[in-house]
Amino acid sequence: MLATTGVAETTGGSRRPGWFGWLMMAPMLLWLVAFVVVPTGILLVYSFCQRDDLGEIVYSFSWENYRRIFFDSDTGKFGTTYFTVFIRSIVYAGLTTIICLVVGYPVAWFIGRAPESRRNLLLMLVMIPFWTSFLVRTYAWIMILSNNGLLNSGLEYARLISEPFEMLYTPGAVVLGLVYSYLPFLILPVYGSVEKLDNSLVEAAFDLGAGPVRTFQEVIVPLTQPGIVAGILLVFIPALGMFAITQLMGGGIKPTIGEVIQNQFLQARDWPFGAALGMTIVVLFAVVFWFTSRKQEPA
Amino acid sequence: MKPIRLLLAGVLIGLVAAPLPAMAQKKKNVLNLFCWSEYVPQEVIDGFTKETGIKVNVVNYASNEEMLAKLLAGGSKYDLVQPSEYTIEALVKAGKLEELNLANIPNIKNLDPKFTKMPHDPDGKYSVTWMAGTVGIVVNTAKVKTPITGYKDVFDGTHKRRIVVLNDAREIVSWALNSLGLPINEITAENLDKAKPLLKEWLPQVKVYDSDSPKTALLNGDVDLGIVWSGEAAILYKKDKKFAFVLPKEGAHQFIDSLAIPKGAPNKENAEKFINYILKPEVSKLVSEAFPYTNPNLEARKLLSKADQENPASYPPGEPKLETFKDIGKAAKDIDKLVTDLKGK
Amino acid sequence: MALVNWLCGGWTALVFAFLYVPIILLMVYSFNKADMGIAWTGFTFAWYEKLWKTQPLLDALKNSVIIAGITTVLSVILGTLGAWMLYRYRFPWRKALSTLVFIPMVIPEVIMGVSLLIFFTLVSGPLNAWLATFSEAEWGLGYSTVIIAHTTFCFPFVLVAIQARLAGVDPCLEEAAMDLGAPPLKAFWLVMVPYLLPAIISGALMAFTLSLDEYIVTLFTTGPESQTLTLKVFGMAKKGLDPSLNAISTVFVLATALFVVLSEGVRRINR
Repeated sequence: MLATTGVAETTGGSRRPGWFGWLMMAPMLLWLVAFVVVPTGILLVYSFCQRDDLGEIVYSFSWENYRRIFFDSDTGKFGTTYFTVFIRSIVYAGLTTIICLVVGYPVAWFIGRAPESRRNLLLMLVMIPFWTSFLVRTYAWIMILSNNGLLNSGLEYARLISEPFEMLYTPGAVVLGLVYSYLPFLILPVYGSVEKLDNSLVEAAFDLGAGPVRTFQEVIVPLTQPGIVAGILLVFIPALGMFAITQLMGGGIKPTIGEVIQNQFLQARDWPFGAALGMTIVVLFAVVFWFTSRKQEPA
Repeated sequence: MKPIRLLLAGVLIGLVAAPLPAMAQKKKNVLNLFCWSEYVPQEVIDGFTKETGIKVNVVNYASNEEMLAKLLAGGSKYDLVQPSEYTIEALVKAGKLEELNLANIPNIKNLDPKFTKMPHDPDGKYSVTWMAGTVGIVVNTAKVKTPITGYKDVFDGTHKRRIVVLNDAREIVSWALNSLGLPINEITAENLDKAKPLLKEWLPQVKVYDSDSPKTALLNGDVDLGIVWSGEAAILYKKDKKFAFVLPKEGAHQFIDSLAIPKGAPNKENAEKFINYILKPEVSKLVSEAFPYTNPNLEARKLLSKADQENPASYPPGEPKLETFKDIGKAAKDIDKLVTDLKGK
Repeated sequence: MALVNWLCGGWTALVFAFLYVPIILLMVYSFNKADMGIAWTGFTFAWYEKLWKTQPLLDALKNSVIIAGITTVLSVILGTLGAWMLYRYRFPWRKALSTLVFIPMVIPEVIMGVSLLIFFTLVSGPLNAWLATFSEAEWGLGYSTVIIAHTTFCFPFVLVAIQARLAGVDPCLEEAAMDLGAPPLKAFWLVMVPYLLPAIISGALMAFTLSLDEYIVTLFTTGPESQTLTLKVFGMAKKGLDPSLNAISTVFVLATALFVVLSEGVRRINR
């Protein structure tokens, strides 16, 4: 009986690590401690500090930054623009993830079921567009979507429309840009799961009289679930912090949390506040992740 | 086991070799230039290396704040930076700039005296003006037929969602303050409160916020009006004279970008040599041609083509009302909060 | 079943078209005479000539590839080992470690960049003092710091991809190898790694791509001699991305495509 899992937190082994195990883990542990824990710790310290005139840190403990995130400075009530901004980022990221899932799963399926010799080639083909420079790619989209751009010009030329259709600098353009950027990050992990799918299981389902939809629902999805979950994580989480696309393709009208945080480090030069915002996101994520990843007991 | 050994060997070599270039740095005769990319054309750098034999490492940034953040957080030793006026003020106050040895920079005589002793560096000890510019209004006269003389005309409501502005909270607030007749360098809670309703009216009319390349939206016909850097406006004008440039009558920001040497720079003399080199008229002319801001070098201006000299965005006629930004310290975060809140709603 | 495969194939073709439309466009425009804008003013190779002469751009490309390459190798090692260890062993704070691994992905890039810069600056003082006792060399921001920074946020991607592949793996695989007398390391290498290979390749491709395009973290952790192509491109955004950037992207894409085709050819010959 396949137990449902939250995040891919499968315990294939239940051994306690011996000295060899610890040795193998050491590189990752050391790396994490040095380059993740310590810098995050520095930021944590900063988040309780304030900035001075030049923008350098004043080491005096204060909850001010966190208060500002949660409580409106003018009215003192719970709820601030930062809430709105954060929710907007979540909505964009969520929408992007769903669309990537729908668009990308069939692609991952096809590549995973393709003849072995072709698979790596197809994977590379998926990735190669993203080895061009991000800005050059995005400007190519701008060329396509803008008012005087190729799509509008083409449509006007074909007499399908009489006036340019506003495509750029809209939320739609932002989602398009986000989906474009993150599609491979869904296709690749799902491919990893699809590739090992035992065809005989699918055939068995057919033999037992299940239609394609039922087979998909009850056999294929559960078996590729780890890949799906991985894909969702690898799209949603980075998409949350992405803002270059909202700025370039959305006109930067509605700020996202990534942009707000960046502003704190650059324009406003209020590093402590930026650190506080960052910490809040990290803590939020850690809490959600902790509670949704349940252990799957070994069969 | 061979492949894994090769792999591990490769990784180890990579890890060991990687820091070596950084270590070798100490011996060479170099100049580490930290600058706006469009300001230093490749030919200028090549010319300098040819003349002096000094290798130039160019690192670019896209905003003053990026440069400041990196300088303040520590790390690399840069020899030359290109701060704007309010950043120089802040750096001088914090003692982060080296005093220039003007004896090494004789070509400074080529500069227009107007640009040598400015409010942000009254004795001219720390910086040499590189380029000046303004923030003004670009009008696509093919689409906009009504006269535009200032901020209020831009935001009068008839151009809703056909406007691009800089994505710079301080700039935006200064336009509101100028429109209200308030001093743009007095960022007090009171003044911000007065600016707020005006901004609340203005911001929804903006279609695009872009500090990097606002000319794109104008060229692509997505917007008809823009409040942009004068250099962008000059490029647009060069491309098509339909893009008129107007300095707002309520008052405009004049920015001064200068060269300065951060404290602790390892190659200070090379930096001064570079400054001197840039001040040569024929070199300065190359810089102007690459990006047509206002060149403070009078000798260089004489060498420009007539069309360039007459570009109204580069060399605005008349005596427009201009003002530089002062360092506002902590108030920067209040400005950012105001604009973020208004945008976010 | 065949019908489903056909449909997926058609869908994949459409998606590939979607992915490649901007790429084809930017390749075409690398031959445009005009230096910006949509208008096509004529065909020219001038931008490729300019690119060839612009040494800093070529250097930056070289740096980007080297950095991305080393980052990918390190990320794959860390990610594979990490995923394997998290899967195989049970220890008290395993869940915490699992969560910790995601932190580099969650943290906004500017925060990661700034915090690493501060960290490197703090470390460089004592480190250089120690180095000074026996050599003239000095450690500063450069390749090593950029690679470290990139690896830190790339390896979680590899780890997640491999974890997905490990989920539901038959534990007998490893046991079988060990029953046949192989020591744990060899069992891992000869049995698990081939099994994990598709996920490793997925992860490697993701890591390479992420590293190539990374801007903010690179900006804060780079030194003067390790400028990457992305830094240069973003810096040029103000002036307007002239088609020599299209040219460099085109060159890179074509070079990669050529490499792929050639290695396919070599593989076929080897059969």
